[in-house]
Amino acid sequence: MKTCKTVLALAGAAALAVGFVAGPVAAQTPDEIQSRGTVNIGLLVDFPPFGILDEAGNPDGYDADVARLLADDMGVELNLVPVTGPNRIPYLVSNQVDILVASLGITPERAEQVDFSEPYAGIEIFVFGDAGLDVSGPEGLSGQNIAVARASTQDTAITEIAPADANIQRFDDDATAVQALLSGQTPLMGGSNVVISQIEAMAPDRFDTKFSLRQQSQAIAVRPGSDELLDYINDFLTRVKADGSINALHEEWVGGPLPEFVVSGD
Amino acid sequence: MNYQFNFAPVINNFDQLIYGALITIQLSVGAILIGTLIAIPCAAAKTAGIKPLAWLVNVYIEVIRNTPFLVQIFFIYFSLPALGIRFDPNTAALVALSVNVGAYATEIVRAGIESINRGQVEAGKALGLKGHQIFRYIILKPALRTIYPALTSQFIYLMLTSSVVSAISATDLAAAGNNIQSATFAAFEVYLVITAMYFVLSLGFSGLFSFIGRTAFRYPLAR
Repeated sequence: MKTCKTVLALAGAAALAVGFVAGPVAAQTPDEIQSRGTVNIGLLVDFPPFGILDEAGNPDGYDADVARLLADDMGVELNLVPVTGPNRIPYLVSNQVDILVASLGITPERAEQVDFSEPYAGIEIFVFGDAGLDVSGPEGLSGQNIAVARASTQDTAITEIAPADANIQRFDDDATAVQALLSGQTPLMGGSNVVISQIEAMAPDRFDTKFSLRQQSQAIAVRPGSDELLDYINDFLTRVKADGSINALHEEWVGGPLPEFVVSGD
Repeated sequence: MNYQFNFAPVINNFDQLIYGALITIQLSVGAILIGTLIAIPCAAAKTAGIKPLAWLVNVYIEVIRNTPFLVQIFFIYFSLPALGIRFDPNTAALVALSVNVGAYATEIVRAGIESINRGQVEAGKALGLKGHQIFRYIILKPALRTIYPALTSQFIYLMLTSSVVSAISATDLAAAGNNIQSATFAAFEVYLVITAMYFVLSLGFSGLFSFIGRTAFRYPLAR
């Protein structure tokens, strides 16, 4: 067992060393990518509807389509590289991909390791419920039943702000919480814009959003110092937001328009 | 093994576990009482030879015994509101557990009733006992005494089955454990303590049942 661990540790160290030997964190320019003719874009494949694998096992989803749009815009071939949540930043900074379109939420900690573009997607968590119900803030939750997925962001957020006499009903996942709302067992639920879009497609006009709990912008990421590339991507995002093409992709995959805070870039 | 045991999340939230255990006890005791009240008339109807009634009881037993409990509880909580029947999560759990244990207990009680020798019933008639007296003293009581061990193990199984009611957001012991686990990620510690608590509950119910059995079925040695 001990030897096994040593071997693993050595392999890990070697992998790290190779990563660094392959080159220091190198800035990237659009010219380099265009002269090479291929862009390597990292994306998640386990985060529906943003990153998934299609029937043939190829990356697909909103992120994949945004990556295709970007590669077309640059006039280069696209090489999609599946990455995972924990290894996506290491893949970028070790030069294995040029760009991440990997549902990477903008946080101050991550901004120290990578450079973020303007947001291209976003998740917003809302309190959502019966259209007839007048709830505009946390105090409106008083005496109400609210369905949430156990220990989700919305559970944490609602537990923090809800008055003591609000009854937070915790289900095992979003699907069951949605079921509680649809069957009329709870008049309210906490959920993301992705889930809410799905509900509105199933039951139009029965529900509306009451108030926002949290919002998280996701951005395209490049290696630090790649200012020209970042300018190119930001210009690209401004153009595809203006001509509606990125919104069409969002409608197709997420089932609703791009959230307002993503479009305005706040 | 490099796992660092940390029981602080369990100790700090122990009041939630106690509250959950109380709900589990309430649900179990309630379902046992209601289930027994369902089982005795159903078993009597099934053995009395009244065809339409026996047929109805059979439909109830077969539907409940041939479908998963999780599906039954989802049906009661999520589907019945469409028919205008609405329960809060803990009440829905009590209804589901009662209906479920009622079906199993009916078959157990029926087996007890069928074990009573016809000669005993005839002896009762010969002694001039009325119908309800014959049913109560000659059929039901000896029947219950015969099947009591089988019935109580079904009841303990019911208490353990109640751990799935957290699926409809009922606030039982398993739900309290799930909440603490998903907030603290101390899965091993939380489920170890939960397991121990269910074990203690089982022993408690078991002891209670054997006490009730000793008191209620002492005859005919002493009355």
